[in-house]
Amino acid sequence: MFEPIVATFTQVARREPEATAIAWRRVRWSYGELLKASECVRDALLARGTEQGARIAILVRNSPHYAALYYGVLAAGCAAVPLNAQERAPVLARQVQHCGARWLFVERDHPERKALTAALAGSDVQTIEITLDDGPDCVATFMKELPSGSPARAPAELQRDDLATIIYTSGTTGRPKGVMLSHGNVAANSAGIISYLRLSRADRGLCVLPFHFSYGASVLNTHLLSGAMLLIEDNFAFPKVTLERMQNERVTGFPGVPSTFAILLGRCDLSEVDLSAMRYMTQAGGPMPRPLIERLRQQAPHVQFFVMYGQTEATARLAYLPPEELDTRPGSVGVPLPGVEIKVFEESGVEAAPGRVGEICARGPNVMLGYWNNPAATAEVLKDGWLHTGDLGHKDADGYLYIDGRAADMIKVGAFRVSPQEVEEVIAALPGVEEVGVTAIADEVLGSAIKAVIVRRADATLDMRTVKAHCRQQLASYKIPKVVEFASSLPRTSSGKIQRFKLA
Amino acid sequence: MTDALREQIRAFILENYLFTTDTSALGLDDSLLGRGIVDSTGMLEIIFFIEEQLGVKVKDEEMIPDNLDSVNRIANFVQSKRQAA
Repeated sequence: MFEPIVATFTQVARREPEATAIAWRRVRWSYGELLKASECVRDALLARGTEQGARIAILVRNSPHYAALYYGVLAAGCAAVPLNAQERAPVLARQVQHCGARWLFVERDHPERKALTAALAGSDVQTIEITLDDGPDCVATFMKELPSGSPARAPAELQRDDLATIIYTSGTTGRPKGVMLSHGNVAANSAGIISYLRLSRADRGLCVLPFHFSYGASVLNTHLLSGAMLLIEDNFAFPKVTLERMQNERVTGFPGVPSTFAILLGRCDLSEVDLSAMRYMTQAGGPMPRPLIERLRQQAPHVQFFVMYGQTEATARLAYLPPEELDTRPGSVGVPLPGVEIKVFEESGVEAAPGRVGEICARGPNVMLGYWNNPAATAEVLKDGWLHTGDLGHKDADGYLYIDGRAADMIKVGAFRVSPQEVEEVIAALPGVEEVGVTAIADEVLGSAIKAVIVRRADATLDMRTVKAHCRQQLASYKIPKVVEFASSLPRTSSGKIQRFKLA
Repeated sequence: MTDALREQIRAFILENYLFTTDTSALGLDDSLLGRGIVDSTGMLEIIFFIEEQLGVKVKDEEMIPDNLDSVNRIANFVQSKRQAA
């Protein structure tokens, strides 16, 4: 029988209610407290008559409060829509409206709260403000902020194909792309990850990744479903502080993206702290330079290092490289998770022979239901039962997968996908811009950064600062062009399309 | 501590993260991380600025919020390092 993650979490929490689920700032929430808080969220939604499948947006930074909201929404049979806490109000408002959210839980101290609330004025979205309190009574404070009342309906029994969550990925500004993941997707992917990482209640993972994106969500879910402790680090700006916490809390696992490890190793030496409890580290979110992997292994030779591959459309994870293969298959992202099938198809539609490059396609219980309210975009990537990832790759003779590039026109800044078109549309709206092209440039820490090349109108006096300031008001920080150049024209193909690769 | 040092730090942050010269956009005690003005890579750039432009070496153990998470904290930190030197 199908078991949704809320049911598994509830069982885990009831078995060991005193165990710590989440350690954050000065407080630790036990499994019992987290369950109680999530049941309070569930009952608040049911009391207000929120129907099954209703979308509930969450703009709350990583915290136990976020976890209680997420699990409470799922338990009520509603769909959680975690919003990117780094985004700006215009994008957030469009996403809330695009998914038709009934409720918005928003962090009281979030820098965009006021602007978002103003942007949503006049809509029928009910906003509930959440205080991220880390005092001794923070669980009670959290529950007091929720609307009270008796549930108007019993929570429905969740089915495998029921919508669990919508995660927005970078689309163009006018057309947000919300990846719809089912309860079956989340349960299957979580189980697969728990199995290859061998997560158990003995584990203590430290998370610096935001829960609103698929990698961070998988870290949250896999820990709570295995009864492990999750330590949340509010930000990763002070790597030495994070390392000391790893040492003092006897952390056993640390997930990151390439820029996480670049920052960690940039100023610190792992061999100077006691990481003897650390069992594994994981890396996803784009290719990590080999020298960086080697430095990590030299400084912490006992730690198993997992290179992984996935995308939001596949819930989070598609493949992983068993650490013992790291030396024999350098550059590989490994083998599919149990139950997942990966094939490389050539343009003609035939499966590529080993060594030949084609588009990576996948099918399995983790492949999304589609994009919310966007059948055209769904039809572009879900074809004949396969998810077309947009990534180019090949397999070796033993079936191990290697990534060779990205077919779709996306820039990866850190681990975040950025659509050049989204940034172009924002800049094009500035007075004085005749035309604009956006491309990727190499960045030592982030892998890639954004560069914009602008053609000004004849009479315009537009400067770099105005462009960046405008972008900052409209876009998450990582989408702001690091370099802005002005040119007299943009390189184009004979059909008039901007040749972005020539802008770098 | 000189106001000039504070203003130099504030000007750097305004120029590079808020893209403005309007000093009212950044209070001297505003949390740079809490307000979402810089992220982890931005903080690395600020440390680079402190070392290159202000001439103060930042040790690993000094990379903590108390030293770096607002204009005043950075200014106090730089000032105390200069006095100790």
